Amino acid sequence: MPRLFHRRMNVIARASLLAIPILAATAGGVAWHVQTTSYVTSQDITMEQPVPFSHKHHVGELGIDCRYCHTSVTDSSFAGLPPTKTCMTCHSQIWTNAAMLQPVRDSWRTGVPLQWQRVHNLPEYVYFDHSIHVAKGVGCATCHGQVDEMPLMFQAKSLEMSWCLECHRHPEEYLRPREEVFNLHYQSPPDQLKVGRELAERYHVRSAQALTDCYTCHR
Amino acid sequence: MNLSEVRSRLSNQRGQALWRSMEELCDTPEFRKSLEREFPGGVDGWINSGDQSRRRFLQLMGASLMLAGAGTMSGCSDKPRDEKIVPYVDAPEMLVAGKPMFFATAMPMGGFGRGVLVCSQEGRPIKIEGNPDHPASLGGTDSFMQASILGLYDPDRSQAVTRGGEISTWAAFWETVRPRLESKRQTGGEGVRLLLEPTTSPTVLAQLDELQRQFPRLRRHHWDPIGRENTTAGMVAAYGKSFAAQYDLSAARVVVSLDSDFLFDESASLRYSRQFMDGRRVRRDRQEMNRLYVAEGTLTITGSTADHRLAIRPSEIAILARALAAACGVSGVNTEMPAGREKWINAAAADLAANRGACLVMVGESQPAEVHALGHAINHLLGNLGHTVHFTEPVLGQSDSLDVLVDEMRSGKIDTLLIFGTNPAYTSPADIPFAAELLRMSKMRSADGTFANLTAHLGLYDDETAYLCQWHLHQSHYLESWGDIRAFDGTASILQPLIAPLYGGKSASEVLEVLLGRPERSAYEVLRGYWVSQWKNADFERQWSTALKSGVIAGTALPLQDLGSPKVVASASEKSAGEWEVVFRPDYSVWDGCFSNNPWLQELPRPFTKLTWDNAAMISPATAEKLNVVDGDVVRLMLNKRSINAPVLVTPGVPDGVISVSLGYGRLRAGHIGTVHGDQTIGVGFDAYAIRTAGERWFAGGVQVIKTKRTHRLVMTRSHHAMGTFTNKESLKPDAIATEQTPEWARETANRKLVRVATLEQFKANTNIIKELGGESEKKPLLSLYPGPEHGGWDYSKGYQWGMSIDLTSCIGCNACVVACQAENNIPVVGKEEISRQREMHWIRIDDYFGGSLDDPKIYHQPVPCMHCENAPCEYVCPVGATTHSVEGLNQMTYNRCVGTRYCSNNCPYKVRRFNFLAYADAETTEQRKLQRNPDVTVRTNGVMEKCSYCIQRIQRTRIEAEKMLVENSGAQQAEFNLIERLQTACQQACPTRAIEFGSIIPVGGEKTRVAKLKDEPLDYGLLRELSTRPRTTYLARLTNPNPSIEPAKGGAA
Repeated sequence: MPRLFHRRMNVIARASLLAIPILAATAGGVAWHVQTTSYVTSQDITMEQPVPFSHKHHVGELGIDCRYCHTSVTDSSFAGLPPTKTCMTCHSQIWTNAAMLQPVRDSWRTGVPLQWQRVHNLPEYVYFDHSIHVAKGVGCATCHGQVDEMPLMFQAKSLEMSWCLECHRHPEEYLRPREEVFNLHYQSPPDQLKVGRELAERYHVRSAQALTDCYTCHR
Repeated sequence: MNLSEVRSRLSNQRGQALWRSMEELCDTPEFRKSLEREFPGGVDGWINSGDQSRRRFLQLMGASLMLAGAGTMSGCSDKPRDEKIVPYVDAPEMLVAGKPMFFATAMPMGGFGRGVLVCSQEGRPIKIEGNPDHPASLGGTDSFMQASILGLYDPDRSQAVTRGGEISTWAAFWETVRPRLESKRQTGGEGVRLLLEPTTSPTVLAQLDELQRQFPRLRRHHWDPIGRENTTAGMVAAYGKSFAAQYDLSAARVVVSLDSDFLFDESASLRYSRQFMDGRRVRRDRQEMNRLYVAEGTLTITGSTADHRLAIRPSEIAILARALAAACGVSGVNTEMPAGREKWINAAAADLAANRGACLVMVGESQPAEVHALGHAINHLLGNLGHTVHFTEPVLGQSDSLDVLVDEMRSGKIDTLLIFGTNPAYTSPADIPFAAELLRMSKMRSADGTFANLTAHLGLYDDETAYLCQWHLHQSHYLESWGDIRAFDGTASILQPLIAPLYGGKSASEVLEVLLGRPERSAYEVLRGYWVSQWKNADFERQWSTALKSGVIAGTALPLQDLGSPKVVASASEKSAGEWEVVFRPDYSVWDGCFSNNPWLQELPRPFTKLTWDNAAMISPATAEKLNVVDGDVVRLMLNKRSINAPVLVTPGVPDGVISVSLGYGRLRAGHIGTVHGDQTIGVGFDAYAIRTAGERWFAGGVQVIKTKRTHRLVMTRSHHAMGTFTNKESLKPDAIATEQTPEWARETANRKLVRVATLEQFKANTNIIKELGGESEKKPLLSLYPGPEHGGWDYSKGYQWGMSIDLTSCIGCNACVVACQAENNIPVVGKEEISRQREMHWIRIDDYFGGSLDDPKIYHQPVPCMHCENAPCEYVCPVGATTHSVEGLNQMTYNRCVGTRYCSNNCPYKVRRFNFLAYADAETTEQRKLQRNPDVTVRTNGVMEKCSYCIQRIQRTRIEAEKMLVENSGAQQAEFNLIERLQTACQQACPTRAIEFGSIIPVGGEKTRVAKLKDEPLDYGLLRELSTRPRTTYLARLTNPNPSIEPAKGGAA
């Protein structure tokens, strides 16, 4: 019976045996890496907005509190975006002719709301609640970064599930006193773990097991 | 099916077997198949197709791999990249984005209002709850109230004014109708007629009165196919004048219902249900319950809760009533005791006499005036007036006069007919040719070629009546309009709109205002104007805002009247009812047809039959044997030379010789959901109005029943999701029920004791009877291979531990919970074809069990949601960890992890998991219907398993509130307890009888919760406890309170 394959094929076959798992692993690794890039997570990407609102100016330089605009952050799951009226409390008096603010004035005049580009977005099956995080001593900056240094808003953290779980598994590493939640310059103390455990105790933060139940975030 | 074999099997067996369907009793191959296969039909399509070649296999494999790949690709983009946030320009006061708001209003039905609280999320009304402060609701709802939210978003609602089918405008209609009315001012509105639904709206009635003053010769007519004609006539017969009777069932220890389905079809049914069931809750410290006798001509939910139910022909109820009245001592009734009923009548009469002033006789609208008068006489004689029976001036004054109107139409006296809301072209009696006359009127032309008459119809839908009118005006939904309405006792409520009219519709009040010559006034101004005139001296704004907030206007209930003794009406002579009698009833899902286009209601399994998407002629097994028909055989019902074809459905409990049909089906212009297309795979029934006459609205004798060769495919869910497929398949066969000879090992699985029943006497004699009914398995410790808390397993002693308790005695099987769950949890509708494959998606189902004999069955309702087992069998088999356990004892279902293996459903002994075989949630769901969806619940895609979550969104919302409160003030334990006790699941909140309780089963803030107390009751038992699943949902056994003189106490309740 004649040979079906040339002798050289043995080498190729052996090389293939070796190459297939390597290629598969590489492909998997690349896919995993792509998932964590900002291409997928949107991390660090600055979005274009109808009005180039600067948190750096309003928060960092003028010192306006988060809650002046995000009024429902302590009450509701949604922190709230200010109605045009909130902008106009100041801007009907100052910078009344600035070209940059034309869309705001148009909105106020016509009653057509501004359409802001959403920066922090979670999948539809994730139910995040601002109010409970704020109530239990999770600082704004812990998730949103140094907002007071952002001329235009971007997403400072990956917002992946593994990132959420870091804190839900070890809340003591991130908690701060409730009075400091809105303080963007808060520095965690050197003995954060000890302080964090005390805070978790005082604020009735539930166990890591409870915080990582699926129904905590998914419904 | 061989019914005689079933009978002998039933009579041979000891104890009481329970069954859900005749198929189950007969153990038919179809039932066997549905037991053995979790998802029969569809899934094994390839295997059954005959083409099992390698080539076909590879084709399917390739296709599924490709689809899987496509799925994975699309799965990557679950994060929407380009989403806008649109804040307000000037935010409304009180509105906090992400927090629901509740507004009080009332749902009008049959002219009466029932108070509701509507949940609004960012301006979208999404859910209806009962208003606890409203006398007709007391916090409960029924399936119609729950489903009316979907009616608001119905894309089939008419969206424009039309003239002759062409789109027109409101202005064009005003320009047509106003000059016409003006020209009639001289003649006082000669020839103008209004046809309305009966209404109690004070504003609309005032407007109508004003219109009448402007046009003295204008006439109003009313039409309601359900109506209250007999009730009113009975009142007139007894007291010489019309009064409204209201009942206080909380004061009644004995209730006799003569064909009255008072748990369903009264305007105060929700109140009656609550009051009645409050008198039946037996607890450790309250061991008494009321007793209900029902004599009825068909099978109703009221009958199913009776302690003594007599299923007799409706024409015999008058005879029975006379005998009962005579036995109670009402003078002037000469009658002889009907044969075979002596025991029931004497027992009921003795019981009534023994409870003077605390008993009640209720007569259904279906019975003639004479029976109502007899009911009044008995109530008066037994001193019930002022205790269980109260009278007021009539709340709903109008009576039907469609026949008068049609006579005038025929004689040409009418040239302008305006129809408000009602749909008589479909619902009018068969002997009143309303549709033909309306068509003639609409088409008639005068000499110059223009239309001689003006006909217009204001309605939610472009329905049968709209089609025959020249003009159709689109009406606004009750959630879109300002208005007012009275409840059964006269209590008025303000209707406030939750949303601006989606399609620019107008309410009856707005149209009337135009007819009155004030087109510029809005419904809001009209309404306020009326109440300003009523509250002359009061602080109007304060009273107005109080009325809006509470949902009732204080002090508007009509004063109670003291009436003298009623007249006893001489007995009318009975005409022979013939061999067969037909009974007409409003349908449990679509009422008179006004809810036909509501898919939630169409898909709702009807009580007892569990029929969906159709109506059927319900007949008893004996009738079926006599007619030689089986389920789905079409019979022709001929009555007074009119006939309809109806598929039969054999239903134990229907009186022999009675064919019971429900109204509201077979519609020709209902919309995409409710219109009949003649397609068996879609369904939606036959039109029973076609043989219903004005004189015999509720039952008629002398009907001929002819078996045809045709069959109709009826789809019932009654044999779906049977519990007990996984161990001993013989277990469900009645002859396998444990006897003394049954070996112990078989006894455990032989009778699963899914529904445990005992009489009050048995329970009093032995409070442990319910646990003992569980047999050997109840005594054994529950074993588990999994570690307990001491070995790192679940510790259920901390925090909140959620659990549920369902009282089988209180459940009336009304389906309100099923629709409430559907509304709350974004549960899709799947359609008749998918239901025939056992693919209905309801998270909570109501299993109706029949017990006893085929001819006089007892009926038990058992709602079955997810049991949230502590040792959940579903969790162990999920390969991807999509269903897991929470520290609070919840069995969690994570949709985004699920890959659709369905192992969990296979392993669930309770069969409560539902699989999205297709993209039900998105398929053909229009944009409007999506507006109803609850934003706090994920909309599931295809290939994903889902099930009851104990309303996790509500738990989380309440828990977050409680935790925030405790952070502020860790001593607020009482407030925490109150908050957690206020937490309600959707099914619990909807339940009119409070059969469902939910909460933490361990103390909260150091205090024992309601549900924990119920779980300590001796009536508490777990379903399939012997499997060691440790369900968090448990049941309180069904107790009955039979009269020992009818039913001597005997052992062995099942």
